[in-house]
Amino acid sequence: MSVGWRYFLRRILVSVVLLWVLSVITFAIYFTIPQEPAAFLVDPQHSTPAMIAKARHRLGVDRPIATQYAKFVWRALHGDFGVAYEGLSFNANDELVGTHVGSQVIRAAAVTGWLALGGVVLVIVLAIPAAMLAASRAGSWLDKTLLAVTLIGISTHPIVIGVVLQTFAGNRWHIAPPSGYCGLTGQTANFSSPFDNNPVLCGGFRDWASHMVLPWITFALFFIALYLRIVRVRLLDVLGSDYIRAARAKGASEARVLRRHALPNTILPVITMLAMDIGTAVGIAVYVETVYRLPGLGRLTLGAISGEQGFDLPVIIAVVMVVGAAIILLNLLADALLAVADPTIETRGARRAQAAGRVI
Amino acid sequence: MPTVEAAAAVVPGRPVGAWTIAWRRLRRDKIALASAGILSLIVFAAFAGGPIAAKLLGHGPDDLFPYAQHSLKPVGPWTQVPDTSIIESLVPDAPPPKNVGTTLFVLGADGPLGRDELLRVLYGGRVSLEVAFGAAFLAILIGVTLGLVAAYFGGFVDSVISRFIDLVMAFPLLLFLVMVGYTVAGDKFARITVHGVFPQGVVSLVLIIGLFTWFYPARIVRSQVISLRHQAFVEAATSTGASDSWIIRKHLVPHVLPTLLVWGSIAAATNIMLEAGVTFLGAGIRIPTASWGTLLSSTWGTVANPTGYDPTTFSAWPTLLPTVAIFVTVLAFNQLGESMRSVLDPKAVR
Repeated sequence: MSVGWRYFLRRILVSVVLLWVLSVITFAIYFTIPQEPAAFLVDPQHSTPAMIAKARHRLGVDRPIATQYAKFVWRALHGDFGVAYEGLSFNANDELVGTHVGSQVIRAAAVTGWLALGGVVLVIVLAIPAAMLAASRAGSWLDKTLLAVTLIGISTHPIVIGVVLQTFAGNRWHIAPPSGYCGLTGQTANFSSPFDNNPVLCGGFRDWASHMVLPWITFALFFIALYLRIVRVRLLDVLGSDYIRAARAKGASEARVLRRHALPNTILPVITMLAMDIGTAVGIAVYVETVYRLPGLGRLTLGAISGEQGFDLPVIIAVVMVVGAAIILLNLLADALLAVADPTIETRGARRAQAAGRVI
Repeated sequence: MPTVEAAAAVVPGRPVGAWTIAWRRLRRDKIALASAGILSLIVFAAFAGGPIAAKLLGHGPDDLFPYAQHSLKPVGPWTQVPDTSIIESLVPDAPPPKNVGTTLFVLGADGPLGRDELLRVLYGGRVSLEVAFGAAFLAILIGVTLGLVAAYFGGFVDSVISRFIDLVMAFPLLLFLVMVGYTVAGDKFARITVHGVFPQGVVSLVLIIGLFTWFYPARIVRSQVISLRHQAFVEAATSTGASDSWIIRKHLVPHVLPTLLVWGSIAAATNIMLEAGVTFLGAGIRIPTASWGTLLSSTWGTVANPTGYDPTTFSAWPTLLPTVAIFVTVLAFNQLGESMRSVLDPKAVR
């Protein structure tokens, strides 16, 4: 097992380097575009050069790029991602005040996290039983219908699913709130549409869950369809193997064979794949957050990229680091799980390559 | 059936290649044939059908028809619309001029601007397909090169390329696509049209999608070539003095080609989704260029410029048509990919 530990230690070290390179690249992309961060603080049209110079100095953007980057790394290592450019101002004592990126990202990550968590629960609760049903009656009309439905789930754009659900379930039939977010604890000012100037205060479990219902469904549909197909194929694979024939020969009922013998051998690789699909999940979460106006990581980044004054670097780099770390961490976790389930590295590589074949 | 096939394969003096076997299997696969047929139809409709339809109908995809909407609600399918394209200036809110003829909107108008939805879906298909094919091709080109080099030469080269692959994998793909789309690609590359061959924005989307998805084929190729590298036929070629480039071209590439075909088909499906998604997020194709992504966002707005739901002007057609176009194309590409996967696998028993 010592070899395994060393393997994972090396992977962790590589991951740290990857995160570092990720931050360098984000910085590099940022500095290729011409822009003036001081515009967040003062109006460049109506300010003297001295005021702009002062704003630049206080933001620290007048220093060389290398210095700025070093400062960022130093602070990030202490868990401080700085202050967002958006909403910056001088207070009465001429001090710079603004929103801390750290708390902003944590709040947004909680929203995205809840979205993903609820979605994953839906996937596991719905996709696996449905796959068992389909696999146990392979070739029947039920199996074929389920497969046809999954094709729709895979081939329809998540944005369309979201927009249709929102329009009909939300706006027309009033089954659930069509957009907006309510915090699980405390009160949230909820702007239900971009044209809405009067936020509604809401909060608590009921409000939270009702606002998350449609996003969860939208987020999960694609993965339910995908995993139903994957689990079904794997189950059929396993059901054809010798030890299943042995179990049947010893008189185990078909239900018992499926649950006790076939499923355990399917479930771990599936959970591993779920962990490896986080990149795809982040992408779909961005669509879902946009359609339903959830203040998650995707919306945070989009706002920071497309803001009027330009790129909000502290926010973007923090999100990229957090999401990048999550992707790397879950991939590592997936590898660790696979190593436990299947100690031969060769099959692990093959499975990973297989998982990499499908993308969004 | 398999016995007949096997018997045919062992007729002495007539060796049957893997491609022939695959072709025979493909011919019997109804779903694959249907997918291929639908895809060729879609490609034809998108590349040739658009101009033909524009010629027949007498108006173009970007022409505005103020009378193709009634109080901002677009007209439905098969409507005759006053042909105002020849008139220089119109009085707002006036009834249509008497002396003009009408022109047919086969699938209705696209929104308050009153453009022909059918023509926009056809022309938009061209943009979406160009992005899909171009980005998949670019990703395969980069991926195969790096994957082959990494696996074949191994050692330090492999480590460097593998870490590079890990790096690109750790990128939050969509966030980076949007980030790059908003900044670098939006400013500098969006205007590249290669002398008008491609509509605006296509080249930049191909570049950014291709540059962020090549690691999939790279990983596939690398793991395949690693398992092939020490097999007898490669060692035999090495012992007869074949050069590295000869072995790669003649012995290794043919082995990975089937897998790449499968991946390319599925990647094309994914890229169509990505084009629509990135455009919806405001970083892809820009209006007024029609693409399936811009058509979707013409009703729902983009992130930077959202449109609320308004029951008085809502019409399902402008959403439905690009949705169906995307759906059918993605489904056909996915099915073709799946069929090719089973058809091209020489070990699969059928």
